[in-house]
Amino acid sequence: MATVTNWIDHLSAKEVAGAVYPGVGTETLLVIIGIVIWIGWHVLANMQESEKLEKLARKRHSANDHKSNITDW
Amino acid sequence: MTDQLSALTTIFTEFYYWITVVLMFLIHVGFCMYEVGASRYKHHQHTLMKNTMLIPLVTVTWFFFGWWIYWAFPTGPGLAPSIMNESAALITDESTFSAKWYQPNSQLMAINLGDHISGVFWAAFLLFSWTAASIVSGAVIERITTFAFGILAIAIGSVFWTIDAAWGWHFDGWMLKLLGYHDAYASGVIHAIAGGFALGILAVLGPRIGKFSSSGEPRNIGPRNPWLVTVGLFLIYTGFWGFYAACNIPIFNLGPEYGMEGVTYWTATNIYVTPTTLSGITMNFLMSLSGGLLAGYIVAKGDPFWTYSSGLAGIICASAGNDLYHPIQSMIIGMIGVVIAYKLHYWVERKFKIDDAVGAVAVHGYAGFVGLVICGFVLNGYPSSGYSVGAMWDGSNYAAINPLGMFIGALIMFGLLGFLPGWIIAKILHGMGKLRIPREVEIAGLDYNMLEAAKNDEKAVSSSTR
Repeated sequence: MATVTNWIDHLSAKEVAGAVYPGVGTETLLVIIGIVIWIGWHVLANMQESEKLEKLARKRHSANDHKSNITDW
Repeated sequence: MTDQLSALTTIFTEFYYWITVVLMFLIHVGFCMYEVGASRYKHHQHTLMKNTMLIPLVTVTWFFFGWWIYWAFPTGPGLAPSIMNESAALITDESTFSAKWYQPNSQLMAINLGDHISGVFWAAFLLFSWTAASIVSGAVIERITTFAFGILAIAIGSVFWTIDAAWGWHFDGWMLKLLGYHDAYASGVIHAIAGGFALGILAVLGPRIGKFSSSGEPRNIGPRNPWLVTVGLFLIYTGFWGFYAACNIPIFNLGPEYGMEGVTYWTATNIYVTPTTLSGITMNFLMSLSGGLLAGYIVAKGDPFWTYSSGLAGIICASAGNDLYHPIQSMIIGMIGVVIAYKLHYWVERKFKIDDAVGAVAVHGYAGFVGLVICGFVLNGYPSSGYSVGAMWDGSNYAAINPLGMFIGALIMFGLLGFLPGWIIAKILHGMGKLRIPREVEIAGLDYNMLEAAKNDEKAVSSSTR
C-alpha cells in the first residue's frame, strides 16, 4: 500500500511523483465509496428523523409542556 | 520549487490562504451562535444541529462536484468563449486552469508534492460555501426538517453559488466579459444569491406558527438570548476579515501578467487580478461596517439586533466595490444599503407574509443586491478584469463596469441563481412531504424529547444517595 518507502530515492528521482498518499491509482474507487457513504447518510438520517418526528407528533404536547422539562442549573 | 524565491512565494501564498480559512471558520461559529440565540428554548439544539450538519454535507459535496463546477462553468456554458481555449464549452480540456484537474479522482485533489496551492484555494472557497448555506439556515429556523435543509444546503453551497462564482468571479467568467460584472468581496456571488435562495424557500415553507395574527398582522418573535446574538454577530464580523483577505491575491507581479514589457509591478490584487491594497480594503471594511451600524441604529431606533445586523449589511452592501472605493464612499454606501434592506424587510413581511426569522434575506439578499447596483454607478468605466487591460491573451474582450450590466448581474444573482432554484427545490421537497416538520412538533418544540430525557436523567441523579 505504501507509495513511498524511501524519501531520498523518491525526492532524488528525475521526475518527483507528486501523489504520495497510500493507494495511488485507486482514486476512482475511493470516490465511488465516498459517494455511497454520502447518499447513504441522507437515507439513514431521513429515516431516523421521520421516525422521531412522527413519534413526537403523536403525543400532541402543548406549546408550554416543555417548560416542565427544564433542568436545574 | 527549486529556487528560494519561488519557494518563499509559494509557501507564503499557501500559508496566507490557510490563515484565511481558519479566520473564516469564525463566520460559521458566529452564525451558529446567532441562530441559537434567535431561536426559542424548545428548538435550540435542533437549530444548532441543522447548521452544524451543513459543514460535512457541503464539504463532501464540494469535494465531489462543487469545486469542479467552479472551474468548468465560466463560459456559461455557451454564453462567451474562454480566453484560454476560445471555446464556449465547459472547460474540461488539458489547459492549466481546467476543471479536469479538480475532478474528485484527480491526483491534485489530495496531498501532492507538486501542488501547494489548490488545496488551500479549495478550502477557502469551501468556507464561502458554508457561509452561503449558513445564511439560508437562519431564515428557516424552527420549522424546516433537517433532511430538507441538508438538501437545500448542498444545492446553494455546492451547486448554485459555485455556478455564480464561475460566471461572475472566475477570471474567465462570462459575466465579466458581457456585462462588466464586478463583485470584489461578494455582495452578489455570496450574499445576494443566498438571500434570494432563502426567500425562495421561505415563500414555500411559510411562517412559524404564531408569527402572524388571524388578521395578518406580523408579531415579533424576538431573540431569546441577546448575548449569543451579540457575540455571534461580532464573530461574523471577525470572520469577515478572513473572507476579505481570501478574496485577494496577496502578492502578484502584474507587469508580465498584463504583458507590459520590462515592467515589474508587485502588488496585492482582487480576485479579478486588478490592483488593490490590503491596507485600503481594511479602511473600507471598517468604514462600511461603521456606516451600517450608524444607519442601523437610527433606522431601527436603537434596536440592538437590527443594529448589529446592520453593521454586517453595511459591509455586504459596499463589498462589490470595496477594492476601489474611497472609505467615505464605503461608509455612505453601507448606510444606503442598510436603510433599503431594513425598509424592504418589513414591507415584504407585511405584504407577502414572509417570516425571515433572522432578517437574512434583508441583510444578505437586499443589501447585496443594492450593493451591486450602486457599484455599477460608482465604478462606472473601470475595467472589470485584469485580463481586459493586458495582452496576455490576444482577442480577449471584457466589458467595463457599467450600471446596466451590474443591475442585470444583480438580477441573475438574486433571482435566477438564488430565488428561483430555492423556490423550485423547496416546492419539490414540499410535494414529497419532507420540507416542514409536523405542526404538533413545531408547537411542542423540536427538542421536546431531548429535554424530557435530560429531565429524567436529572431526576435519577438528584434522587440518588450514593
